[in-house]
Amino acid sequence: MKKILLAAALAALLPQASWAEDPIKIGYAISKTGPFAPAAQTQINAYQLWADKVAAEGGIDVGGVKRPVQFVVYDDQSDFGKAPAIYEKLITSDKVDLLLAPWGTPFHFSIVGILEKYHFPVVGNSAASTTIRDVKPGNIWFTTSAIPDHLATELVKMMKSAGVKTIAINTLQLPFSQEFKKFLMPAIEKDGSFKVVVNEEYAPDTKDMTATLTKIKQAAPDAILSLSYPPDSVLFMKQERELGVNSSFQLVLIGPTDNFFSKIFGPNLDGIITMGHWSPAQAKWPKAKPFYDAYFKKFNEPPDYLDSALAWMSIEVLEQAVKKVGLDKDKLRQEIASDTFDTINGPVKFNGVENVTTPTMYLQFQKGEAQIIWPASEETAKMIKKPAWSQN
Amino acid sequence: MMRPALSEHLPFVGALAAALVASAALIVWGDEYAVSIGLTLLMWVALVQSWAAFSGLSGYISLGHAVFYGVGAYVMVVGWQILPVWLGVILAGLVAGAIALLLGWPSLRVRGPYFVILTFGLAEFVKYIVVSIEAALGRSGRLLIGTPSLRELFGAMLLLAVASTIILYVLRRSRLGSGLLAVREDEIAAEAIGINTARTKLLVFGLSAIIPGMVGALMSLRFTYFEPMQSFSPVTSFTIVTIAVLGGSDDVPGPLLGAAFLVALSELLWARAPELYMIILGVLLVSFVLFAPEGIYGKLRSWNRGEAQ
Amino acid sequence: MSVLLSGQLLAAALVLAALYALVAMGLNLVYGTMRLLNIAHGELVMLGGYITYWSFTSLGISPLLSMLVAPAVGAGLGVLIYIVLFRRLLRSPKLAARVEANSLLIFFGVSVIFQNVMALFFTSTQRGYVYLDQVIQIGNVAMTANRLILFGVATSACLSCLAFFKYSRAGSAVRAVIQQRDAAALVGVDIDRLNILVFALGFALAALAGVLVSMVQEITPFVGFPFTISAFVIITLGGLGNLFGSLLGALLLAAVEVYGTAVISSSFRSILVYGVFIAVLLIKPQGLLGRAVAAK
Repeated sequence: MKKILLAAALAALLPQASWAEDPIKIGYAISKTGPFAPAAQTQINAYQLWADKVAAEGGIDVGGVKRPVQFVVYDDQSDFGKAPAIYEKLITSDKVDLLLAPWGTPFHFSIVGILEKYHFPVVGNSAASTTIRDVKPGNIWFTTSAIPDHLATELVKMMKSAGVKTIAINTLQLPFSQEFKKFLMPAIEKDGSFKVVVNEEYAPDTKDMTATLTKIKQAAPDAILSLSYPPDSVLFMKQERELGVNSSFQLVLIGPTDNFFSKIFGPNLDGIITMGHWSPAQAKWPKAKPFYDAYFKKFNEPPDYLDSALAWMSIEVLEQAVKKVGLDKDKLRQEIASDTFDTINGPVKFNGVENVTTPTMYLQFQKGEAQIIWPASEETAKMIKKPAWSQN
Repeated sequence: MMRPALSEHLPFVGALAAALVASAALIVWGDEYAVSIGLTLLMWVALVQSWAAFSGLSGYISLGHAVFYGVGAYVMVVGWQILPVWLGVILAGLVAGAIALLLGWPSLRVRGPYFVILTFGLAEFVKYIVVSIEAALGRSGRLLIGTPSLRELFGAMLLLAVASTIILYVLRRSRLGSGLLAVREDEIAAEAIGINTARTKLLVFGLSAIIPGMVGALMSLRFTYFEPMQSFSPVTSFTIVTIAVLGGSDDVPGPLLGAAFLVALSELLWARAPELYMIILGVLLVSFVLFAPEGIYGKLRSWNRGEAQ
Repeated sequence: MSVLLSGQLLAAALVLAALYALVAMGLNLVYGTMRLLNIAHGELVMLGGYITYWSFTSLGISPLLSMLVAPAVGAGLGVLIYIVLFRRLLRSPKLAARVEANSLLIFFGVSVIFQNVMALFFTSTQRGYVYLDQVIQIGNVAMTANRLILFGVATSACLSCLAFFKYSRAGSAVRAVIQQRDAAALVGVDIDRLNILVFALGFALAALAGVLVSMVQEITPFVGFPFTISAFVIITLGGLGNLFGSLLGALLLAAVEVYGTAVISSSFRSILVYGVFIAVLLIKPQGLLGRAVAAK
């Protein structure tokens, strides 16, 4: 026992050994299990990719000193009720130095209270709702530019420029799609040049859309807008193809950015427009293609053009901020709120909680790849008309 | 009939007092995470004791109790910043109770397995109605800002947990409770000896909904975000039944033990092996039904009796 | 409205009805003969789907072949589960007294286990594959080939089952047990062997449904539960234990799902489905066609 004490005393007296810097702890909770797990997977992958990168580089730069990183990851079991407790645990019990955001809008919102309580800044990513502006700035920021009200106005502009006159809309009764519709309808009305020929809503767990699609087919609109979440996006597109419901302007709100859609629909995915603001094809953003390649190399499939990109952006913001000012929370807060960050999606600067430098964009699949087609200032390719569904 | 000696109730009162002391200590000295675990534990206790007051005693298994929880949450979020919080909670309980009477009146005529799937169907029915209402109102999830602190919610939940425990305790030893037990034994015979089974069932069913409604209201304040698909989730109903099976639903200690067991197991496992936690839970559930159908409490009692011999 | 009368809608309803009927039949069998509430039924569908997915994408085995393999696996699982879990339940008088509640809980545990074991091994990412999805035109009805196969296989399977139960000795024994359990035992029906048969068949039918489902929609470890719910709604509508009734129940549910949304807005679909379900349970709990299963 004495020998140990002696050794400890000697160790304490020796100058700080510089072969190993204290690791910093980075924590987060995410839906590893439960019904949201499939959707959260692409964000989990982006976080994993970063963990690998950090390990390979020996750590991250903290105010000029490189320090290794220890990740503390919990499963929120797709229950946004658990998220606040977990983040509180990460802060008070695990004593993490930095936090990453969970997946999904409700999860982001559920931890806001905790972040405010402990004045702990977090760069959010996969949350998109105008409600983010209700959140007091200072502890959370959102990298996405795909906010429903902007999305709605841009969509109207985009449809107008494509010469669309008649529109069919099918909306899922879940938060994001409903919020989108809430802004879309007035925007359409305000413009005055459109006619909405079909306007339907459906509940989650719907198994068949034949009736709605038959109506749409009969109405033969210029544009078909499916404000849907991934499972029903798949159902909608499959049944569109089966029934031969064609139109040269087709928007499927959420889903297509996930590689699953490319696997299932192949060339039939071409021409589908979806929300998103990142593409590896954008030459203006030199870091975009390397991210795409690194993700592909590790996971054998492309990243999700929306969620994976957003996650990575939030990581880049955090990394750059920490590099500049270290771990002090107040300094970080200042830094994140005021600086401009260089990400795979171009420059990102926040005003309040919102990312105001990245314009709201739309993606379209062309030859199996996601291209930015709107607005013209950001486009990587021109919008094409959606070809008729190949039924073979 | 001789009045039962007051000393018979001593163990119960003693246990209650001990729980109160422990909770007070937690509030004062516990860290945030410990208090949040405590809140979760108290929540399940309140829910399952209330459930057991009806389903445990009458044998009518309600697989839709989440509906009362959800209704309570909805009342709270709709009344948010319009009503004072305490009023919202009370109103939540009353509305939930009213819904229970409304739903129970036709439903309690249905027996056995039909009742089980009926309660499930009713819960889903109400859930989709709320989804439609929210859609019609143009609401896509509701965010609550400025909700009470964790410790305040803990205190309120403590009251509910204690209340639900006392209710079950008293009910079980009352005439009303005996009526329910008679229904569980043999409903037709109970009718024959003059028990108004319909009224008994309805009354207690309504009663069993009030506290879950208030629990739902409190938890909506904790989560600060309301979304009908989540708040009316059948998982809540299933978890209540799971806890009742694990702990026993016959008397007061059962749900308490079951809730403590579940929360402990959850804490032990979800951090390290989340899928494993659920698998183990499933295995435990199956094992308990086959080998320990009266739950932990029942097993403890039978060991006790065994020892006494 | 011309949409309502279209052949397309009818075709959609029939295809959905066939799938529902197949899923419901297996559930009805188990409930009818043993009064066990199998809420893990949907998980067998999910398993059938994963077997097919994995066989196709990793081994290149056609889903058509999986239609033989998956039901066999399902049957095997059914027998295993019966012998290990349910024999004990049925033989213990104390447990058997509350057989519905207890079976519900056991099956619930089983479903949780299945879901999470699959999530552990396959991750929760949605899985799908493309097989025979050419669109075939019949008159003014368009349907992908795999949906036509689904209709054909599901319908044949259901009709074969019905025939089996009507005309074969084993089938008659099953029907006897459904109608009067104790009397059947008295006349010498080996209840235990019959139970094994029913479990095997019920689980096999669910697994077969899973193969078909995987051809037309993506699967995740949690895809089973909605099928369980639909199956319960159907057997309630048709009468618990009434096998022919579950065909009608399936038609009714599919009609509500497909046509209901044409008549009123699609957003009320679930409300409509559960509303009908509740109404039937309250007004005629034996189901629209059911004769009362022998009361306790």
